[in-house]
Amino acid sequence: MANRTIPRLLQTPAVILLLFWMLIPLGMTLFFSFIRYVLNNLRNPHWTTPSIENWRGFGNYQFVWGQDSFWLAMKNSLVIVTSILFLTVILGVVIAVLINRSFPGRGIVRVLLISPFFVMPAVNAVLWINMILDPVLGLQGLAVSGINDLSAGLKDAPLIGWFFSLWPELEPISFRATQTSSIAVIMMVVWQWTPFAILIFMTSLQSEDQQQKEAAVLDGASTWSQFRFLTLPHLGRPIAIVVMIQAIFHLSLYAEIEIVSRGNGNKNLPYYIGELVNNNIGAASAAGIFAVILANIVAIFLLRMVGKTLME
Amino acid sequence: MGRIQLKGVQKKFGDVEVIPPLDLTIEDGEFAVFVGPSGCGKSTLLRLIAGLEETTSGTVEINGEDVTMASPSSRGLAMVFQSYALYPHMTVRKNIAFPLRMEKMDPAEIEKRVAVAAKSLNLTDYLDRKPGQLSGGQRQRVAIGRAIVREPSAFLFDEPLSNLDAALRVGMRLEISELHKRLQNTMIYVTHDQVEAMTMADKIVVLQAGVIEQVGSPLELYNAPRNKFVGGFIGSPKMNQIEGEAATKRGCTTLGMRPEHINMSPDSGEFKGTIGVAEQLGSDTFFHVHIEGQEETVTVRQEGQVNYKYGDTIYLTPVEDRVHKFGPDGLRIA
Repeated sequence: MANRTIPRLLQTPAVILLLFWMLIPLGMTLFFSFIRYVLNNLRNPHWTTPSIENWRGFGNYQFVWGQDSFWLAMKNSLVIVTSILFLTVILGVVIAVLINRSFPGRGIVRVLLISPFFVMPAVNAVLWINMILDPVLGLQGLAVSGINDLSAGLKDAPLIGWFFSLWPELEPISFRATQTSSIAVIMMVVWQWTPFAILIFMTSLQSEDQQQKEAAVLDGASTWSQFRFLTLPHLGRPIAIVVMIQAIFHLSLYAEIEIVSRGNGNKNLPYYIGELVNNNIGAASAAGIFAVILANIVAIFLLRMVGKTLME
Repeated sequence: MGRIQLKGVQKKFGDVEVIPPLDLTIEDGEFAVFVGPSGCGKSTLLRLIAGLEETTSGTVEINGEDVTMASPSSRGLAMVFQSYALYPHMTVRKNIAFPLRMEKMDPAEIEKRVAVAAKSLNLTDYLDRKPGQLSGGQRQRVAIGRAIVREPSAFLFDEPLSNLDAALRVGMRLEISELHKRLQNTMIYVTHDQVEAMTMADKIVVLQAGVIEQVGSPLELYNAPRNKFVGGFIGSPKMNQIEGEAATKRGCTTLGMRPEHINMSPDSGEFKGTIGVAEQLGSDTFFHVHIEGQEETVTVRQEGQVNYKYGDTIYLTPVEDRVHKFGPDGLRIA
């Protein structure tokens, strides 16, 4: 039909631009993942230029698949993302419900609660790892040594001394170590992103129908039942939104990992790919394709799960 | 059983007294209607009975038991809200079953009761739908169903029909009256529509600014309104209230004449006036007549189709034994 041609023609430039925007990087990544392409190789200098003649088939994929560090990064990515999602959603719902009631100073409390979201991720990581979690100079170190001093001082006190002499000397935890650095990352990102969840849940709570709650009160529903059967289903959709947006963001965490431990022990997928990019572009591209597949699986899986459990 | 008694019940929001202390008794099995203009405190009064608002002073008794401090759910009342307040995420079945589920009733018994309630309200085919997929009237019935299954001692209705269109409203009005006849339960019904009050009530409670103006059966209120406000509020079209010579002649300050109790004649009568707007309903005709010396028009009801035209001169005479006389304080003179 003639009257549809013109609008479509007018839309075409934008659509084509968007297509190229998406397709060129994806196409290049796919292409690189099937060829040998490195930045520096003295024995095979022809590998340093991308060319179809260096075709490697699924070789890059096999290489990545066979690396222990790839699986470690995969596992770490999943652990970090799911822990952050779990904690931010629970904290977000609890805090949003609490501050939805009116109390003096509510406005200030709300602003304070939202403020972590405005801190830059790198600054956030530096603050946490150096000033809060540092085992010597951070709040953690100060608190631990303070408690140790206190119990040591009270050991010889009469009457209560025996109680304090039972206390072991506490050891501060180093959050830059292999075993703990992903915990540090989870903590700082949860601190930063809980406000986002609160913000979304709070707006949603304000649109909750009060008459429904009154009806539930008359129907004999306890506060918990009201929360479980009315508020939580009402929050189903915002929770799905928070989970989806955060999953997208946190699968690509980088700054926090870099600052906390330079990838020591808690490499996630982006960090692993970043290390490969230093030389082996082909393998990095293959890992990138794996990351795309993972992101899609995670997104579909999470949405299904959230949708089913909350909509009753 | 559901005898509800309010003793000196008062409600203040901050310094504003919404309901000055009032006493009221609603007998077991009675259909009581609270009626009044918007903001008169009728909904607040209902919410006080339901326990959704706390009384500032006074006591609420149900079946002789003081429930002033009791929780809403323990009062054994069921309420139907203006917005229906259905739970949007649950099916009709789960909505109706919700209060029973909260009582931790046996699932088989719940199933049975829901089925009975759904059948009596013609909802059986809709049990697995969600409220969003139902029409206004069906939602209303689900809300009533949710109230019925609890077998409460009294039902409270808070303007339940005001979200429905006119035709549905008449139908639901009949269904609720029918329900009352069948269940023989105490019902309290809040509305601003005097037609609903007149057609459904055993007892009407007319409220204005939190004060009970009059309590009585619909016809008592129609035949002997206690004051000017009740006279003007009950009956449709509104009672004509005129002051001046015609009133003083009969020994009162305000003379109340219902539109249906005025005779109209083309050549002689007490008041001379000109016809303004005529509303032809087919069965009746309402004339708005301008009378000399009166600011407001006088409404006259004539049976059948009467043909007077705009601007015609007309004479009006009230039916003498149906006029209402009000003194200077607005109260009825016997």
